[in-house]
Amino acid sequence: MSDYHNSGELAVSVKNLGLVYKTTIDKKLSLTNRIRSLGRGTKQTRIVNALDGVNLDIDYGSVLGVVGANGAGKSTMMRVISGILPPTTGRVEVYGKVSTLLALGVGFNKQLTGRQNVILGGLASGLSRDEIEAHFEEIADFAELGEAIDAPMRTYSSGMYARLGFSVAVTVKPDILIVDEALSTGDARFKEKSLAKLKELRGDNRALILVSHALGTIREVCNDVAWLHKGKLIQRGKPDDVVDAYQDFLAVGKSAVVNEDV
Amino acid sequence: MSKAVEVYEPFRAGLPPLGRYWRSLWARRSFINEYARSELHASHYDSVFGQLWLVLNPLLLSAIYFVMIRIISGSGDSTRYAHLTASLFLFYLISNAMNSGTRSITSSENLILNTAFPRIALPLSTTVVALFKFLPTIPVFLIIKFALGLDFGINMLWGSVIVVIALVFGLGIAILIATANVYIRDISNFLPYLNRVLLYLSPVLFEASSVDDSLSFLKFVNPFFPILNSWSRAMVHNEALNWSEVGFAALWAFGIFLIGTYLFLSREREFAVRV
Repeated sequence: MSDYHNSGELAVSVKNLGLVYKTTIDKKLSLTNRIRSLGRGTKQTRIVNALDGVNLDIDYGSVLGVVGANGAGKSTMMRVISGILPPTTGRVEVYGKVSTLLALGVGFNKQLTGRQNVILGGLASGLSRDEIEAHFEEIADFAELGEAIDAPMRTYSSGMYARLGFSVAVTVKPDILIVDEALSTGDARFKEKSLAKLKELRGDNRALILVSHALGTIREVCNDVAWLHKGKLIQRGKPDDVVDAYQDFLAVGKSAVVNEDV
Repeated sequence: MSKAVEVYEPFRAGLPPLGRYWRSLWARRSFINEYARSELHASHYDSVFGQLWLVLNPLLLSAIYFVMIRIISGSGDSTRYAHLTASLFLFYLISNAMNSGTRSITSSENLILNTAFPRIALPLSTTVVALFKFLPTIPVFLIIKFALGLDFGINMLWGSVIVVIALVFGLGIAILIATANVYIRDISNFLPYLNRVLLYLSPVLFEASSVDDSLSFLKFVNPFFPILNSWSRAMVHNEALNWSEVGFAALWAFGIFLIGTYLFLSREREFAVRV
């Protein structure tokens, strides 16, 4: 399905990446609100610096963990790498095929069944029908949803969502695989299983990017960690060093709570 | 899968490389088809009663309008009823495309935030849904026409040309309003009003021939007018098309389509931060 990449070859190059976007203060972008704010002469928007001068090279063969507090820009950076959000400044080069955050896209239409969501999400991200069908059994098996795969996704529990999302992300194997916090829900047994799956994927020659708050998993699986805070890259290096520094920063210490997937 | 190097650079207003966009869209054709099917399935239009309702809704409407016309004008023959039904069916094709297309972007927030694909696939698939809903009404119209004892003729085949124009117009307006709806969310509140105005100002309840000169500007400012009149001409009256009218309809349709597509394509990379 993909070309062979040598370990150590450059997979993703992020240069001076910045992303600024405007969010509305009034939740709704409505005509009435616009006219009202024109009358007052007030601005309705707030500028958010989601990413600010981030430089990051990711090589094939590496497993990069991305850590950071909520709102650090982790997911935003993943969206830029997948080509979903255009950067405001800087440049991102991707040498290979990226998974397009399928995990989070699954369940975009809650009226449709799990099966339809998986198929549609896959088709939207550019996979062919045959490719999806070839993987479908594997996805359904791994997610252990049983007959629920043909039930509308509005009937799913959050654990079922997470399981299906994770299965999709790890089964369709692109050159550059992004797993974004998909481990955070699901019961202990499924967590165990997904951890094993991630370790298995690590063996292949691909670049794996894991965004997670589960610091124990990051330490265990990754060989490289980047710490983002408020859109800036704070530290990059060996998992233990960066995670230690991050934990010191959070001042939470190494209690059992942060090492587990919560 | 080629080992293409993707480069993402700052967003600039303007069109993306069209050749590449088209290839990427063409690769999503099964997505468009599948999405339309799932939508139909989710709204039960693939069941017997769903299909029945699709046909019954405009039929009941045309019956009510027919009674109304009889009360107001005191006349109404079988040709009038056929005209009313045929026009309502085609009107619903365009208005369905417009209405469902409007929310196609804003209601797919999750997909847009997490998947990179040509966004125009979304209004395209809602237009395909509108077409799927329209198709079963054609045999229904033919049965009605037969039951009313009206003549069938070779000129009715021109109707297919009009359906194509109506589709392009419906798609164009869907794309245009979908783009606007990303920036101004309450446009969808305005739609029912727009639908009603367009319905009453188009030759549906009346025939184009009964419009007097003082109101003839309607033929030019309302894009539905030439489309629906040509449709009725071919399907109801078995007349050859008036090609200047068809040309005018096509000009409207492709004009709206091109403007809508230009705005959509030049803004769509920004949709992910706007939805």
